Amino acid sequence: MEEEIAKIKENSIKEMENSKDLKSLNDIRVKYLGKKGELTLVLRGMGKLSPEKRPVIGSLVNQVRDELNNLLEEKEKELKKQELQRKLATENIDVTEPSKKIHLGSLHPITQIIEEVEDIFLGMGYEIADGPEVEKAIYNFDKLNTPPDHPARDIQDTFYITDDIVLRSQTSPVQARVMETKKPPIKIICPGAVYRSDSIDATHSPVFHQIEGLVVDKNISMTDLKGTLEMFTKKCLGENTKIRFRPHHFPFTEPSAEADVSCFVCGGKGCRVCKGEGWIELLGCGMVHPNVFKNCGIDPDEYTGFAFGFGVERIAMAKFGIEDMRLLFENDARFLKQF
Amino acid sequence: MKASVEWLKEYSDIDVSCEELGDILTMTGSKVEEIDQKGNDIKNVVVGKILEIKKHPNADKLVVTKVDIGNETLQIVTGAKNIKENDIVPIAKDGAELPGGKKIVKSPLRGIDSCGMMCSVGELGLDIKDYPNQIEDGIMILPKSYEKDLGKDIVDVLNLREEVIDFEITPNRPDCLSIEGLGRETAASLGKTFKNPRKNLDELKIEDKNEIEGIKVDITAPDLCYRYIARVVKNVKIGPSPEWMVRRLKACGVRSINNIVDITNCVMLELGQPMHAFDINSIEGKHITVRRAKNGEKITTLDEVERTLDENDLVIADEKKPVAIAGVMGGLNSEIEETTKTVVFESAMFYGGNVRKTAKKVGLRTESSSRFEKGLSSENTLRAINRAVELVELLGAGEPVDGKIDVYPTKQKINKIKLDVDRINNLLGTKISKQEMIDILEKIDIKVENDFAIAPYFRMDLEFVADIAEEIARFYGYDKLDTTLIKAATTLGVRTKEQKIEKKIEDVLVNNGLSEIYTYGFVGEKDLEKSKIRKELIENAITITNPLSDEYKLMRPTTIPSMMQILALNNNRKNQNVKLFDISRNYRNINGEVEKGEVPLQENILTIGMYGDDVDFYTLKGLIENVLEVSNVNSYDIQKETQNESYHPGRCANIKVGIDVIATIGEVHPEVLMNYDINKKCYLAEVNITKIVKYSKQNKKYHEVPKFPAVERDIAIIVDENIEVGEIEKTIIRKARKLLKGKKSLEELKLFDIYRDEKIGENKRSVAYSLVFRDLSKSLSDDEINPVMEEITKELENKFNAELRK
Repeated sequence: MEEEIAKIKENSIKEMENSKDLKSLNDIRVKYLGKKGELTLVLRGMGKLSPEKRPVIGSLVNQVRDELNNLLEEKEKELKKQELQRKLATENIDVTEPSKKIHLGSLHPITQIIEEVEDIFLGMGYEIADGPEVEKAIYNFDKLNTPPDHPARDIQDTFYITDDIVLRSQTSPVQARVMETKKPPIKIICPGAVYRSDSIDATHSPVFHQIEGLVVDKNISMTDLKGTLEMFTKKCLGENTKIRFRPHHFPFTEPSAEADVSCFVCGGKGCRVCKGEGWIELLGCGMVHPNVFKNCGIDPDEYTGFAFGFGVERIAMAKFGIEDMRLLFENDARFLKQF
Repeated sequence: MKASVEWLKEYSDIDVSCEELGDILTMTGSKVEEIDQKGNDIKNVVVGKILEIKKHPNADKLVVTKVDIGNETLQIVTGAKNIKENDIVPIAKDGAELPGGKKIVKSPLRGIDSCGMMCSVGELGLDIKDYPNQIEDGIMILPKSYEKDLGKDIVDVLNLREEVIDFEITPNRPDCLSIEGLGRETAASLGKTFKNPRKNLDELKIEDKNEIEGIKVDITAPDLCYRYIARVVKNVKIGPSPEWMVRRLKACGVRSINNIVDITNCVMLELGQPMHAFDINSIEGKHITVRRAKNGEKITTLDEVERTLDENDLVIADEKKPVAIAGVMGGLNSEIEETTKTVVFESAMFYGGNVRKTAKKVGLRTESSSRFEKGLSSENTLRAINRAVELVELLGAGEPVDGKIDVYPTKQKINKIKLDVDRINNLLGTKISKQEMIDILEKIDIKVENDFAIAPYFRMDLEFVADIAEEIARFYGYDKLDTTLIKAATTLGVRTKEQKIEKKIEDVLVNNGLSEIYTYGFVGEKDLEKSKIRKELIENAITITNPLSDEYKLMRPTTIPSMMQILALNNNRKNQNVKLFDISRNYRNINGEVEKGEVPLQENILTIGMYGDDVDFYTLKGLIENVLEVSNVNSYDIQKETQNESYHPGRCANIKVGIDVIATIGEVHPEVLMNYDINKKCYLAEVNITKIVKYSKQNKKYHEVPKFPAVERDIAIIVDENIEVGEIEKTIIRKARKLLKGKKSLEELKLFDIYRDEKIGENKRSVAYSLVFRDLSKSLSDDEINPVMEEITKELENKFNAELRK
């Protein structure tokens, strides 16, 4: 009897080893361990044995059965794994095939520059102010210390709607409006479209965009202006950017300055963008003129302030390497997609 | 303003190079536009004498010459025809450089070595007009007197070296539109003494007279003419000016005409005061009146153009006619001619604002008017006229008559400004001592007396402490100013509600594949017609009085034409699947604001324009729904719009909050497409962001996530085509709301199928909805929902004549 059991064990293990799939493995289970399986039959035939032999054989059969069950289980795991691997092999894909994404659009380069500048100044505690583009001449000129006969009205060739209404030639009228309605401390920037009577060419456009800034409080100084612009230009144009002030004249500031920055394309070595000079003329700025304060209801003996302004297109063109300003307003989809 | 360095040296020692001078002056506020260094581009060209000319053995058209250049004799081969032996000529030696970068190298010409080149006037970069005795296509033949200069540099011999700096002068500094003014800035910037060569003019005493040689002067418009001085010169000999004067004028960009006219120009350049000279015989009645022109009065100016004036213009007139437009240009009728014997010099101060207006009106912006319009000094007029007379004497151009006629009704005010040291230092952020400030100011002739800075007569721009601060800062050095951080109250930098919404909208659009465009606010009448904009809107358009062109004549009352232009451009360039958006403004003069001097309506508009395979009305609608969702506009109506002619009458909708239209979306009208030559369907949306902001409500609240299961039912009905699903949905929702109370509700209503076929019938369609009912407090039973469904079905049957599909 023991021999018979050993035989069964030996055969079944051999068959198990040869088994290639789950079905044949199951057949083996039925053949040896099923209701009519060979090992089950051995148990059934135990009645013929002597009582003292029965428990010995019984425990032997149970032992073999457990052993076989374990082996079957292991074999099953192994086969399942093999089967999964075969399945995975058939499910191979080419990961370099095109994706199914929704193509993203893009923000216009002018917006990208404006938002970058906005974020820098928001971080410094500035608010963003806005105002009308079709504006009263009094805000565009008079309140900004540019009375009707002032030569500056000649320099800025303005679009007129009537004698009193113009297309704003600068975003400064927004400053005047804010100063009239808000008490210091004032810290604002005003981005927006401005209009000048320039014909369209590679470097001119009758509509372009400016960002102006204004700070009004007690004890604001010109060194604060320089410090603020230095911080801004470093953040916007790169940590190594240097800034240089030159005396200049604007009706609405005194003292006034033009600020050059070291060329952010070549780093100051001289290139096409800076025309070999290493510096780019970037900003106009200065201390708010006492007449402007008076015109806007702020006491120039109590408060001082600074203002600055620059063109967005110039920065966008230099930063993105766009050589013709017309591209910005032509809006060819192939141009827009690049940003 | 062009200034020759040689002329500036009369005012200040200059011991730096031309470029360095330019850099230094730029940093003190006189910005250099351009530096022109004549003569520097000629190298190794010397004076030579032709010793012999022989035929070239191998070429008929060439000759071989021997040229003496002082210490050696060169063999030069040339094709020139105008040379003969013993001629003195400019010789470019081996290694010479000529203007335009041309280099001369020793080389054989048809087998004979040529050790240099003889130069023409043009090859030396000179203007043939300045050398009337020379010929254009031949070698420059120098006078025999140059024989003593053999071998010397031609640049020195002909005095060709000239350094000219062109400065950008800001409008507040008309005093720097003169060599004297720039000379003062130069001396102060270089730390040199201002030499003041015209100091004698300040001390000169000229007797006042009422009449000289019969000439009298009256000012009848003292508001426009602050001072008028006349002096007379007799026995005038009109002729050419001396070379030094021609040269100085030329360096500053002024053409020499004759000695008298040149003197007026020379004084203008030197002292900044425009001058005028008349022939006394052209002044009828010998009575000069400075008066307003009569309406329609005519004058032919020196440029031979007839100009019509009106009472806003100021003229210099005799008893019969105007002889000059004050401060702008003289009249042809009083021009200095070869025969002129007696000259009246005018030096006057006219009100700048008026000169500017007249000059602009008659379209004549002259050297004179551009100076006057910036505001000149009345005090300088006397110096200028005396300088002119001094030059007449120097040139021997005539005999000055003693005395001056000086009408000076309005004395120039001299500004005194408190030298408030603390305030200046606070404004600049500096710690400059009082003495340092005084030293700086005195360098530029601003005297300080009893703590007051006294603005000199030529600095009328100095009015406030801030002006004095700028002067101090300029010479202290802008580059020496520290960089500091604002010490002020903390302020909050946050975007406004509108700015936040705008940014969220941008993000949604970009994430949905749209690219942003930038358009001009201008449109032409034609664009509005092409886009079929309705008449009331066209009437709201704002007209620019001085537009660049007809296409840019109006401020757009709607953004549609701008978007259509860009779609057309992209279609024309064969760009596929184009999806664009623009956030910008429209401009509407609705209640005549513009005429009343008020600001017209300017709303912030989102415009979307799309075409391509993957877009239709419903993609656009979905996009707009997302825009509204991120903007927190939660309740709105979408209604069909058939009257807007820019859109397809069957495929356009208005989105409304109450009765307020916040957006219009739809397919572009085929006629509009045709007008723009677009051959495919385009979709447009105009969304009023200003209104969106108004209706944006941030009222999101948490609702309990349901614990109990829902009951789901489907219903399909057959209705007429013209019944909008929107109406059906509203009816279902309304009915369900009425029937379900408490925690029970119709949670979701979804259209899942629209189906048409013959069996259903012509002009009919089947629409199928799934309805999800839920009770938040317990599980719903069929028994509760069955009657609700029955009621809803009945309602749809009654209202829409719907037939339940089984």
